[in-house]
Amino acid sequence: MATKRKATKKATQTRKRGGSPRTASHRAVAVATSPRRSVKERTAAAAQSPLAVCESEKDFQAMLKVLCDTTEPVKVRLAALQSLQAASFSVLSFEGCRGDYIATLRQVAEDHDPELRQRALGMLMREKDGFAQKKLLEGLRDPDKALLPPEKALQLLSYDVHADAYEAARAIVRKPPNETARREALRLLAADATAAPLFERLLLDKNELREIRQIAASALYALRPERMQKHARDILMDRSDYDDIKATSLTALTQLGDETLPQDAALMKSVGRFSTGKTPPKYKQTARRFLSKYGQ
Amino acid sequence: MDVELQINNSASPDARFLTWSPSPCRVRMTNPSGATGPSVTVRITGASTASGGAVVFRSGTTGAFANSLSVPVPVNGTSMPFFVAGRFGRPSAGNGDVRIEARTGTTLVGSVSVMVRIRKNANGLSTAERDRFVAAFAQLNNQGLGRFADFRNMHTNVSSPQAHGAAGFLPWHRAYLLDLERELQAVDASVALPYWRFDRAAPNLFQLDFLGVSDSLGTVRLSNSNPLQFWRTDGVQGTNRRPFFNTGSAPPGLLSEIQTLALGTQYRAFRTMEGNPHGLAHTSFGGSISSIGSAARDPLFFLLHCNVDRLWAKWQRQNGRFNAAQAASYDPGSHPIGHNLPDTMWPWNGVTGNPRPPTAPGGALAASPTASAPGPQPTVRSTLDYQGAVGATARMGFDYDDVPF
Repeated sequence: MATKRKATKKATQTRKRGGSPRTASHRAVAVATSPRRSVKERTAAAAQSPLAVCESEKDFQAMLKVLCDTTEPVKVRLAALQSLQAASFSVLSFEGCRGDYIATLRQVAEDHDPELRQRALGMLMREKDGFAQKKLLEGLRDPDKALLPPEKALQLLSYDVHADAYEAARAIVRKPPNETARREALRLLAADATAAPLFERLLLDKNELREIRQIAASALYALRPERMQKHARDILMDRSDYDDIKATSLTALTQLGDETLPQDAALMKSVGRFSTGKTPPKYKQTARRFLSKYGQ
Repeated sequence: MDVELQINNSASPDARFLTWSPSPCRVRMTNPSGATGPSVTVRITGASTASGGAVVFRSGTTGAFANSLSVPVPVNGTSMPFFVAGRFGRPSAGNGDVRIEARTGTTLVGSVSVMVRIRKNANGLSTAERDRFVAAFAQLNNQGLGRFADFRNMHTNVSSPQAHGAAGFLPWHRAYLLDLERELQAVDASVALPYWRFDRAAPNLFQLDFLGVSDSLGTVRLSNSNPLQFWRTDGVQGTNRRPFFNTGSAPPGLLSEIQTLALGTQYRAFRTMEGNPHGLAHTSFGGSISSIGSAARDPLFFLLHCNVDRLWAKWQRQNGRFNAAQAASYDPGSHPIGHNLPDTMWPWNGVTGNPRPPTAPGGALAASPTASAPGPQPTVRSTLDYQGAVGATARMGFDYDDVPF
């Protein structure tokens, strides 16, 4: 902890000595890219470097070189990546560097370090990068080629959903390598209109994991709202269903429900029951919100 | 005898919201029975509960504020102006928790309930404040089909040169947040956009009942009672957000508030905060928020930017930088379109085609019943004097809990 404070203090002092934020940031790049400095000094300095990375081609290339250099400590490379990504938010200043940056991210996407791979692929997928998409799909079809675990690949594919991704997700749902991969595949399929029957089945299956039922409710809410309203009503009236799923159903009805709900005496009675009695306090508030909205 | 109190010069209950900046108000006689002369002296005061907001008064656009104000009110029904503001440090906790009362002697002759509606630190919101904000935000999103889709579409890779990497970064995001906040207030008038103070620990923010808890993969989990569980953007369910720090503490490496405010007294120096702390706050996470084109998919993005705007507001107050005519208040150089003081800002100006983006989602900036500025098509210049410090009509109707008028 003391060393960390020392490194942060040094970085701040570097900034102060420089006078203007621009000069200080330029000096921070010099520290962040110097192999003679400690890892802590370099990572702390990298945090001060986004401005120089934006405004100086030389500083940008120096940080890019650190990111690519597999002999550099991973912590230093991760700090360089974070700094470059922060600089990328200054679009107009960064625009001239973007091509080199994307090319470097593609290189890092196949790095030996899994964390660097994951971060680079995430950044590329958020740019809807075809190279990254192809690599992730390849990895899902052939695990020997996978750059990331299937659950992470599926999550990243959700940044640019399309038919190929749905196909891969359906295959994972049919034969999941693990429960998290199944969950992420279902999240991805929640954008697929043809998956509504699957989510309907999952929502109504009391033996299903409750997290999966929550995902199914959310998916059905978007894909077939009228079916969700019907099932939410049934779940609320089913004394044997779970309180957390009832809370999700009630929250859906509060958001989704139409003006006819208050005329549904059986439903209103069920909600009234849910708002009192043995229902955990954290879920009672969902009933109170519903009753407040629908005039009870 | 009865008088009518008009807040923000309006009889509408929708206008009964105050900030630290003084709001123009009127009082007029509606029932003069019992009056003996041409006017009656009415004493105006605020009444609040211990946890509620508090207000102060003054008779004109200048001068000291007081806890009460005596106003001679003509019996012929002519309106008399006065000003009311929230007392700094005493924001409301709920709608209508302050009452403005008018009395002649000890007799109550009129009253209205108001709210001192202030942007607060998200980490310190009450449960009720948090729940109202979350419910309004979820409703605005409406499973990706609601008005929120416009806000998501305003902040993309294609549109980013309008808002980033040049002097207009701070003005553009100020207008963007105000537009969103006014839409949230159309859902629930008691909501003000909270801010994520990213240089301090904000453990309450990253909870199942608020903006959620990220698992190791970065998938955000929410409680079954949280309406954000139905959040959807670009057709995709949920939010991805993987913190690279312990959410019980602050992200490392970011400039602190003191360091940010010390970046320089000239706007040109201050706006370097776009890299650090702003950029680094974004990249303290993996997931949507860490890339410019996808950041607006995460509700946290708006709380992050609310803090960026708060820092600018605090810097403006600290250095007296509200007047666009003073060079230090803005960067006087020549900038790309949308970043110069007289420029209108996209998308609110509706201008499309090179050098503006091909579409302009969302239309004009939302109007407010409490303030007329910055108007439907804000310019960069119009965003600077947000409190009406230079010109009272420039007041935009928002304030921060730790930035006084």
